[in-house]
Amino acid sequence: MTDAPQDPSAAPEDLPKDLPEATSRRLAELEHGLFTSDLSVNEFLLIKEVGFHPLGLVMGSSIYHTGIQTRKWGQSQELTKLTEAMYNARELAMTRMEEEADQLGADGVVGVRLDVNYYEWGKDAAEFIAVGTAVKAESGVSHRNALGKPFTSDLSGQDFWTLMQTGYIPQGLVMGTCVYHIAHRGLGQTLGSAGQNVELPNFTQALYEAREMAMTRMQDEADRLEASGIVGVRLEEKSHQWGSHTIEFLSLGTAVTKTSDEVTLPVPTTIISLDN
Amino acid sequence: MPDAPADLPEAASRRFESRAFTSGLTVPDFAACLQSGLRPVGFVQGFCVMQWSWYGMGSPYNRGLSPYGGGGGYSETYQCPHGYVSAEHRSWGRNYEQSWVEQAWSQGFGLAYGRMLEEATAVGAHGVIGVIDTSDRLSDLGVVEFHVRGTAVTVDGVPAPRGGQPWTTYLAGQRLTKLVEAGYAPVSVAAAVASVRVWAYCITEYLLGGGGSAWGGQQSSAEVTQVAAARTAARQLAREHVRAQLGGDSLHGAEMVVSEREVGEGDQEIQCLLRGNRVRRFKEFDPVAVPHPTVRLS
Amino acid sequence: MTLDRPTGGALPIDSPGEMRRAVEALAGPPGRGTKPMTSDLSIDEELLLHSIGWEPVELVTGASIFSVPMGVWNWGQGEITSASTAFAGAFAGAIDRIHRETTRAGGHGVVGVHVETSVQRHHIDVTLLGTAVRPVGGHKGAATPFVSDLGARDFTVLHVSGWEPTGLAVGAGFVYAPRRSMGTAMQQKSQNVELTNFTEAMYSARESAMERMQASALALRGSGVVDVTVNEGPIDFARHAIGFTAWGTAVRLAGDQHRTIEPSMVVPLDDSQVAFDASTLG
Repeated sequence: MTDAPQDPSAAPEDLPKDLPEATSRRLAELEHGLFTSDLSVNEFLLIKEVGFHPLGLVMGSSIYHTGIQTRKWGQSQELTKLTEAMYNARELAMTRMEEEADQLGADGVVGVRLDVNYYEWGKDAAEFIAVGTAVKAESGVSHRNALGKPFTSDLSGQDFWTLMQTGYIPQGLVMGTCVYHIAHRGLGQTLGSAGQNVELPNFTQALYEAREMAMTRMQDEADRLEASGIVGVRLEEKSHQWGSHTIEFLSLGTAVTKTSDEVTLPVPTTIISLDN
Repeated sequence: MPDAPADLPEAASRRFESRAFTSGLTVPDFAACLQSGLRPVGFVQGFCVMQWSWYGMGSPYNRGLSPYGGGGGYSETYQCPHGYVSAEHRSWGRNYEQSWVEQAWSQGFGLAYGRMLEEATAVGAHGVIGVIDTSDRLSDLGVVEFHVRGTAVTVDGVPAPRGGQPWTTYLAGQRLTKLVEAGYAPVSVAAAVASVRVWAYCITEYLLGGGGSAWGGQQSSAEVTQVAAARTAARQLAREHVRAQLGGDSLHGAEMVVSEREVGEGDQEIQCLLRGNRVRRFKEFDPVAVPHPTVRLS
Repeated sequence: MTLDRPTGGALPIDSPGEMRRAVEALAGPPGRGTKPMTSDLSIDEELLLHSIGWEPVELVTGASIFSVPMGVWNWGQGEITSASTAFAGAFAGAIDRIHRETTRAGGHGVVGVHVETSVQRHHIDVTLLGTAVRPVGGHKGAATPFVSDLGARDFTVLHVSGWEPTGLAVGAGFVYAPRRSMGTAMQQKSQNVELTNFTEAMYSARESAMERMQASALALRGSGVVDVTVNEGPIDFARHAIGFTAWGTAVRLAGDQHRTIEPSMVVPLDDSQVAFDASTLG
């Protein structure tokens, strides 16, 4: 685990023995040659172009109760318990997905989608789900990451093809999260600046800090994978079900490593598309 | 320019006399139009308001009340397998085609379409492209307005139309150009509805009601064959009705829209609308080579 | 990946001339011999099919509805077998009907199928709509036509790389999420913690569905399933029941080898996208 703080009340992470028996049976069937994937036909063919073959749709999910943390109305601060919860929930989902890929003997997982769904089971319960397609190199050469685990990435088939042409290979989907509470401004302060075009320094500071924390944590994960860099970084900001003064900053990207100096990217042709 | 037909609103006549044309085309479609020698001459439309009540008294179309109503067309009867049970037991049921509904739709659409063609003829057009047809309920009382509109065009280098209907198509712009390049000539839009009523019998009612405990025993699920047959029939009939309008030509770029309305326990009404472009092959097809696959960098 | 028309060396197309000829042909007799086709493919899709020697034949549909007995959603443990059976039955019924229409029309398979499913309290419905296709000039329908939700474009691209669709593989699983005991509920309310009973139920539904989809693909003699559409979550009207459905096109190699396609990389110089066309007016 990275330096994300552990929530002492959470059960220790379970690995494969945590998945139903049916999963092992289903994965066994996939090992015998049948593949499943949610890749489009385009992506399927492009993956094959760079010498990989899809093995199967892999998924990890966890339904988590997240919502309890007292917060001070007037103070901007990270809500560490919520941060841990959001992090743990996603980690559980991702880890289960990775374990399935591992069981299939995959080199990696592409096209990973990390979603959060809210249902009506009760306030603050959310489903964290990670879905992707496990792939394996047809050459038999292992393309697993520095930790010997299948790489994960949220790259589409097209991006995976393009990346491989540049001599870089994915190591893993890295993420950093920070749940931040933004202080409600005191009544006096609000009246004072109403009607002016002015910076709101406590908001600026709060949002800045929160984003930095999320990105730094993501970077730490990439370092642990001994990656050369991170591509496709995006920062998502969501209030989930907590109201507008509490925001989760989630930074996601794919850590990559250089495997060769040779860049086989052909010179692109310029075109003007004739159809709509 | 010939005189505008007498039954068009006055405002339409004034619009047609103006030199500038109006058109419903987007800029890319407009450009594509000119590129293939089509010249827009005006935005044309037709309306028709029909009374449309499903079960209203006094409506000429309320013959749907009785399952005994004839009407020709599709009909399938379902007999209850039980012996006599009770007076409330629905011992027989029927799926049947509501041809009066289909005819009413056809009349409404036809009148609106015809008026659009009158406007097109008034401006000396060869054809109408980018046709859109809608039917909207105007109120809960069962009044439906049909509205058909499009852009009237002339074709460069073809003499002025001598009579006969302008050709029409739902397509416009590049899609129309490619259709013609591929060897199809647009003849007209084709559209029809099929309306099938399900008058449930005991088994259907029982299954859709959750397999009521009165009949006990059956806790597994089963196909509700009466409804499945009706839904299939509605779709097949719509296709047959449209085929009847094709006169040997083909239907291209079709769209099927199905809506269902429950009218009681197990009873429903299924309406299937099928529309598409009637096209005619005018030259031998010359297939293109397999296009080359590319990956975009941006 | 996109497909672009090669422009190098092609003759310029005389669009106005073609349009004139088309309009003049309207004065002549309709139809030219072979049974007229109906299709919901766009002209691009039709051209793509023709480039590999296939053509559209007829617009075909299939629909079915299976009942779900009363009370099935409200109490129980483990799998909701009636619902899973109903879904599988409705799907199979719809496929069977679309097969029959396709064979009658002389098609070898159906492409671009729109799959619509609806799970209701007392019934589950499935409807399919697509265009039956066949190799140009082929007149006999195939005994078991393939049904695929891949568009004509994907069908073409697969064909060029040596793959063919064999059918629509589908799997569905519905389970009850066990209710939490009062004590557990109180305890979990104050913690940020995984709700294991729900997670397990989700997994269970998913496993059943995926296993069935795989079995379905094997039965169709496919070696894989692509572009799987997955729907998962609790049932709208029954909060403690979870449903998971998955379907996709089963494919296999038509020959003995995959053919690489070697796409080129392009940089398009136009940024504009067609935001709408005539059909969105009004």
